[in-house]
Amino acid sequence: MANLSRRTARIPVSKRNSRAQASGPRTEYLAFSLAGDTYAAPVSLVREILKPPPLTPVPRAPDSTMGIVSVRGQLVTVIDLRRRMRLHEGAPQRRARILLVDAANGETLGLFVDEVQQVYRLADAEIEHAATALGGDVAGHIAGIARPMHGASASDGTQGEAQPRVIILLDLQAILAS
Amino acid sequence: MVDSGDRAREEFFSEAQEIVEGLGRDLLALDEAVRTNKVDPDVINDVFRAVHTLKGLAGLFGATRMATLSHELEELLDNLRLGRIEISASVLDLLFRSVELYGRILQNEKDGRDAPMPEVDDLLRLLHQDAGPSAAGLPDDNYDLDPGLLSVLTEYEEHRLRTNIASGMTLFRLRVQFHLATIDQALDDLKITAKPYGEIITYLPTGAGADQDSIELDILMASRAPLEELQRALHQAGAAVEEIPRRNNNGHGRVAPPGMPSMSAGLRGGVPTGVSRAVDLTGSMAASPPSSARNRKGELSSIRSVAQTVRVDIHKLDRLMNIVGELALVRSALGRLVERLRSAPTERELSLDLHRLQRTFDRHLAQMQAGILEVRMVPLGQVFDKLARVVRQISRDADKLVNLVITGAETEVDKLIVEELSDPLMHMMRNAIDHGIESKSMREAVGKPAVGTIALNAFQKGNHVVIEIEDDGKGIDVDRLLDAALRRGVMTPEDARTTSYREVLNLIFQPGISTKTDVSEISGRGVGMDVVKTNISKLGGVIDVHSEPGIGTKMTVTLPITLAIISALIVRVADRLFAIPLTNVQEAVALDEATVRQIDGREMITLRNSTLQLCYLARLFGLNEEEELSARIAGLLGGARGGSAARAALSGGRRGDGGRGTLGLQGGNKRKYIVVASVGARRLGLVVSTLIGQQDVVIKALGPSLASVRGFSGATELGDQRIALVIDAPALIEEILHGGGDRQRNDPRSTHG
Repeated sequence: MANLSRRTARIPVSKRNSRAQASGPRTEYLAFSLAGDTYAAPVSLVREILKPPPLTPVPRAPDSTMGIVSVRGQLVTVIDLRRRMRLHEGAPQRRARILLVDAANGETLGLFVDEVQQVYRLADAEIEHAATALGGDVAGHIAGIARPMHGASASDGTQGEAQPRVIILLDLQAILAS
Repeated sequence: MVDSGDRAREEFFSEAQEIVEGLGRDLLALDEAVRTNKVDPDVINDVFRAVHTLKGLAGLFGATRMATLSHELEELLDNLRLGRIEISASVLDLLFRSVELYGRILQNEKDGRDAPMPEVDDLLRLLHQDAGPSAAGLPDDNYDLDPGLLSVLTEYEEHRLRTNIASGMTLFRLRVQFHLATIDQALDDLKITAKPYGEIITYLPTGAGADQDSIELDILMASRAPLEELQRALHQAGAAVEEIPRRNNNGHGRVAPPGMPSMSAGLRGGVPTGVSRAVDLTGSMAASPPSSARNRKGELSSIRSVAQTVRVDIHKLDRLMNIVGELALVRSALGRLVERLRSAPTERELSLDLHRLQRTFDRHLAQMQAGILEVRMVPLGQVFDKLARVVRQISRDADKLVNLVITGAETEVDKLIVEELSDPLMHMMRNAIDHGIESKSMREAVGKPAVGTIALNAFQKGNHVVIEIEDDGKGIDVDRLLDAALRRGVMTPEDARTTSYREVLNLIFQPGISTKTDVSEISGRGVGMDVVKTNISKLGGVIDVHSEPGIGTKMTVTLPITLAIISALIVRVADRLFAIPLTNVQEAVALDEATVRQIDGREMITLRNSTLQLCYLARLFGLNEEEELSARIAGLLGGARGGSAARAALSGGRRGDGGRGTLGLQGGNKRKYIVVASVGARRLGLVVSTLIGQQDVVIKALGPSLASVRGFSGATELGDQRIALVIDAPALIEEILHGGGDRQRNDPRSTHG
């Protein structure tokens, strides 16, 4: 299965250089798509990215639980992020992946996403925090909104896909706790 | 990463814990001995040694509080073993309290807390007061022992000699020849043989010996047995027994070997082999050796016994078990490969070789699995010892006289189960004393013996271990239990009229009424019994209660022996596979829909002349059987078909048949099967689409996020990354027969899936 450190290394060098000029520490975010939008979560929280193995549904489990999978002998509960965040649902696509993350209680959970995009290194300046961007009444699982600098990726020839205008940063612990 | 310091600390905790547990056991034995007035000095010595080891350990790891406590205790115990103070109930209380405090200190140390512990200081103060020696008993001069002998006795030996003479024992001299090469073993054997008859106080070489390789010892022994009996008993060991005459019979005692000092010198110089042993021997016999020498001897023996065992983290065993599980999957794949090769005529020889290899692999794998399971097993005695301490404490607090009778402490169960058992059993024990056993006056008024009896029995029954806690107390007051249930609305008056005695008894497990204010004060039981029941069910066990007013109450806990690997029946429901532990399966039969009757909204059939309630798993789990994609399943399972094969697989015994888990798919045929699940006396017919076969499976727990999902005790991998959920039959039976019946009754859908 895809190893994250390798994935990080795939970030184009040119982008890293141009970003280095922005001030402040940068945090790496893994971006993925869900129901047509781009979301991201801190890379440090994502342990592994899996191609979905056969999923065994658990009858009587909460609605957003898709089922369980076996990861090298360990059973992992997989959560449908679309359902958990009440997005509109669709059939899983070929590019769907499961992100393994560690919940606060130590349990490893799988998050089902439509597609994994790339890693962004975001400076604090590029992030608007949820409260300021969307007002006080925003859903608890949204940590903020990021707008990656387009100038940087425009020169990035290796990036085949279109840059999203907005990335919704998720507070994974809040999602997992709900 | 755990660095070596942390690991050493971990070791320290587990070792200290183990010693403290052993200490508790010894104290219980001592308590028993004091009550029956047969104090075995060896037990006091064991306690002393344990505390001494703890002191050393604590010093090593800078656990000051523990070291101080051990030091004071050591003083007290040393005085005890030397007879400077009498062993009394108050001294025992101090000792029991210190065991408890050790536990708390260890916990604090482990958590890295350094909170003041006033209770420790209190105890230390008490110990200090008590440690002072009282007047030692006067030596009984009835025996005229050689002063030469008395001068070589250690203080301890002298004390034992005095005690024995004071209690009217007769002294004997045993003269035995030993080979130097085997003297350690032979002396131990002799001690064991002599033990039932009395106590060996000391032994000294006589100076005579048949040859250079042997040595003759004079053994001083105190016994109540007549001379002839001792002679008979010890003749086998080659001992010549002589009674030491009392004073006024015959001038001087002949105990002391003449010229003993020169003798030991001769030993040192003259015996070429086994010198160190001989020196050791004489050393321990030299006049009052420093106490450290004696202690060192004790430590040496304890180090040796520890060296033969290894403490292993249970999770490491889990990991090993997981690997065995993976290997089992490999074995299945291998089996399929062998089958394929067999059908190819050209590879006949190769296929045979491979088949043989596979059989060997099978056998070794099974051995390995059994081996790991065996390692995980520990005797229930671990919990029972703790319970015995609790019983002592509670019965004292409640001022009731209780005699705890334990049988089957050697019965073994999985370590994890033992761990989880202690709380529920403790609860039940507390209930039995608090609410079961009557006060002394009450017992006498109804003509029962003043001392109540609680029997704690354990035994193995097939794949299960049964633990019973039975008291001879007043029993459960059923009428009041019923009242409470009615008041709480747990039961309607109509229900109350029709329920059986047994069902009423089971009310104690209901969370609603098992509160202190309601039940326990009036009818005497039920403090947290719902919690007890939940905990037992989590282990895959069941709890049952029997009670007779005025005669007593018996709680029976039935548990699986191990949680790690089980034999399971693999079934298909709609398009999903499930595993049902075979321990819960009574039988499996084909379902004839025509015989299903509806009674009070529940589906029943008559099976072997008794009524069996059915539970359609597809409906319960919300699976749609119409959408059943038999083609897809057939593809998944390798396409083997044949309806009768499944039944054959099941009735063909309980052999592991993992490689053939692909039997019995029924294309087109809508006939269903009933798996009769039973727990205790309760039965439920689980209706499934197809029986697949029997397989040994490793159960893995579902994650905490699925903890609230009822009906499954875990899941297991079947190979090809497929997972089958393991059905928690006890929970389903509970839910369908008791709790969730209403939901099923109101279900308007037809019974046919």
